Amino acid sequence: MSELGRLSLLLGFACSLFAVGSIAWGLRTGLSGPLRGGRRAVWAVCGLTVLAVILLERALLARDMSYRYVAEHTSKDLPLHYAFTSLWAGQEGSLLLWLLILSAYGSAFLFAYRKRLDPFYDAVAMVIAAVMVFFTGLLSFVSSPFRILATPPPDGMGLNPLLQDPGMMIHPPILYTGYVGFVVPFAFAMAVLLLNRSGTRWIEEVRRWTLFCWGFLGVGILLGARWAYIELGWGGYWGWDPVENASLMPWLVGTGFLHSVMIEQRRGMLKTWNITLIALTFLLSMFGTFLTRSGVLTSVHSFAESNIGPWFLGFILIAATAATALILYRKALLESENRMDAIVSREGSFLFNNVLFVALTFATFLGTTFPVLSEAVTGTKISVSAPFFNRVNVPIALTLLLLTGAGPVLSWKRVTASVLKRNFVLPAFLGVIAVLVALPFGATGVYPLVCIFGAAFVITTIVMGFARGIQARKSAETGALPGQVVSLVQKNKRRYGGYIVHAGMVVIFLGVLGSSVFQKEAHGPLRNGESLKLGPYALTLRGVTDHQRQNASLTTAIVDVQRDGKFVATEHPSKAFYSKSQQPMTEVALHTTPMEDLYLILGGVNEDGSASIQAYINPLVSFVWVGGLIMVFGTLIALSDRMRLRREEKPVP
Amino acid sequence: MGNRVRLAVLSLVVIAAVGYLILTGVKQTGMQYMTVTELARLDHAPKAEGFRLDGVVAPGSVVYDQREPKLQFKMTDGKEKIAVVYDGLMPDAFADGREVVVEGAYRHGDRALYASKLVTKCPSKYEAKGLGKDKS
Repeated sequence: MSELGRLSLLLGFACSLFAVGSIAWGLRTGLSGPLRGGRRAVWAVCGLTVLAVILLERALLARDMSYRYVAEHTSKDLPLHYAFTSLWAGQEGSLLLWLLILSAYGSAFLFAYRKRLDPFYDAVAMVIAAVMVFFTGLLSFVSSPFRILATPPPDGMGLNPLLQDPGMMIHPPILYTGYVGFVVPFAFAMAVLLLNRSGTRWIEEVRRWTLFCWGFLGVGILLGARWAYIELGWGGYWGWDPVENASLMPWLVGTGFLHSVMIEQRRGMLKTWNITLIALTFLLSMFGTFLTRSGVLTSVHSFAESNIGPWFLGFILIAATAATALILYRKALLESENRMDAIVSREGSFLFNNVLFVALTFATFLGTTFPVLSEAVTGTKISVSAPFFNRVNVPIALTLLLLTGAGPVLSWKRVTASVLKRNFVLPAFLGVIAVLVALPFGATGVYPLVCIFGAAFVITTIVMGFARGIQARKSAETGALPGQVVSLVQKNKRRYGGYIVHAGMVVIFLGVLGSSVFQKEAHGPLRNGESLKLGPYALTLRGVTDHQRQNASLTTAIVDVQRDGKFVATEHPSKAFYSKSQQPMTEVALHTTPMEDLYLILGGVNEDGSASIQAYINPLVSFVWVGGLIMVFGTLIALSDRMRLRREEKPVP
Repeated sequence: MGNRVRLAVLSLVVIAAVGYLILTGVKQTGMQYMTVTELARLDHAPKAEGFRLDGVVAPGSVVYDQREPKLQFKMTDGKEKIAVVYDGLMPDAFADGREVVVEGAYRHGDRALYASKLVTKCPSKYEAKGLGKDKS
């Protein structure tokens, strides 16, 4: 069976190569036969990859320990669902998942455009196939998941306990759906340059693909944060770890692109910039995969050093060079059709937004790779961590928050003083009120107050945006308010979907503010019946128990939680000892309420029978997850907009 | 042209501001990589405060007070040893002989690194040696 797996990947490699060559030939000669052949080869890669995945899954589920990958990542006592998801527990399997999603995108692309006879779409498929060449090659020749052991062990080494978590079952596929998806916008951009195509139609198509993967990437990042919060047991969800940064960077550039693409659609400006952003988003998602897997930087996620780093770096360099060369070669195509009229305008705010998103990405990139860069430049290796990112990124992010309020209410081209007054006085006023309300609650410091002001400001502008829209349509329709909101959103899904995404982001900002600035902590050893005070909470130890689970034994502290003297819950923070790894695993107990999380860690049981408990109050953490859900909702609305350039959105002359 | 100039000025202001944040950020929060040997053989207090050390937990050196919680151990690179003090819970993967990365302030008087961050590298066991060779 393993030979069949190897063969399917090898055939996949051959088919990808064939697809690139055949389509290139077809484009050159104008013959439709080679184009059709190339497209079929892309379909074939998808089929072969699915076969390889099924074969590896079969081995994982059967715990066939003759497979090196199975022996490394599973054990016989591993629950079945984790055996299934250990496909993406290691490097080879993760790469196979990458290829699976990539080839699925390739097929989805071909299916979506099957009725278009324009060779442009073949060129896009060719670029996707070129990326497939890299991954099928890597899986065939460098990092094969189908390696067979000379002497199969009686049992495997088990799955890393950190990965035995429901969140880890879905986090990688969702994150990869985002990461990998940026191949499609990249392929569109390269095809435009290769064929020297003008026009804005492709830009609308790229916007939709980007929005789709951007949404998945965002969800993937939040799921990763959620996983870190529950599994890593340090009381937080974001630590500016290299791997976290790696997933954030393409998201940031993608966000910038989703904004600046609107200027291109409306005014025919910023073409070079947009193509650069698309290419950068793709390259950064490749770089993210490289960081996660190469072991170049120390990270909580780098489980091993590996041999694929140079290959990835080489691929990124080649892709970057090709993209840069093409952009320079087609400079004339990317000539701007308009000039900016005024800085204080919608275009101006989007441009500013883009500069800030790129700055944020740049600072994150610099901080992440600083050890490598500083060593290369000065010879001294210097690393920066969370304090650096908080210092640099927080002010940039807050400026972006303010801009989120300002941008959408500025008009295109030019803004008059009366418009400024009409749109800004009320939000600014409510922003100040919000700050005054927050002060007695202990909010101090410039950044928290700016954040509160910004949040109120943005929410007000969003509500005003909805209100104006309804007012403008009053004459046409009457009815209950909810119905009017729904029909308003339906009329312009892109705009109002975007507003909803903004609202979700504001909620996330508030969650981050609450949980970072207002976190409270207490710890101590507790004997039976003793209590620990933390804010309004009293935590009383009721006992310690031991019990056995399928592949682990658990020590659990039973803790009664009282809030303001009233019993609210019994929580069970635990330590698990997985039989395979002989290593403790902290299992956090979470008591979640809308306004705050109580986060309990069992440090251990002492000789005298007391339990060491560490407790945190994390205010507003749930806002981070709820904000994420709101963003997903808004993204779905914006995605459901099927109409191309509507009358009101025709390019402004 | 007025707009182009204004735009250029605005971009410059943003670049300068971000550059300033990055430079001061590195200066104030940067941690210099050192080997255990380099740090242990210093004969005077170093100019910089923040250091980052990679090394291995010296077997038998771990003293853990779970109640505080306070973790003390010696870190080694095979040649020298240096004392590390960390106020916090012992990370799950922490154990004798494990690879750790420590960031914190070095106090020459105590010859100890007061760690603000302690990362335990996951034992390479999970992706590992020990399974022997591939079937050829």
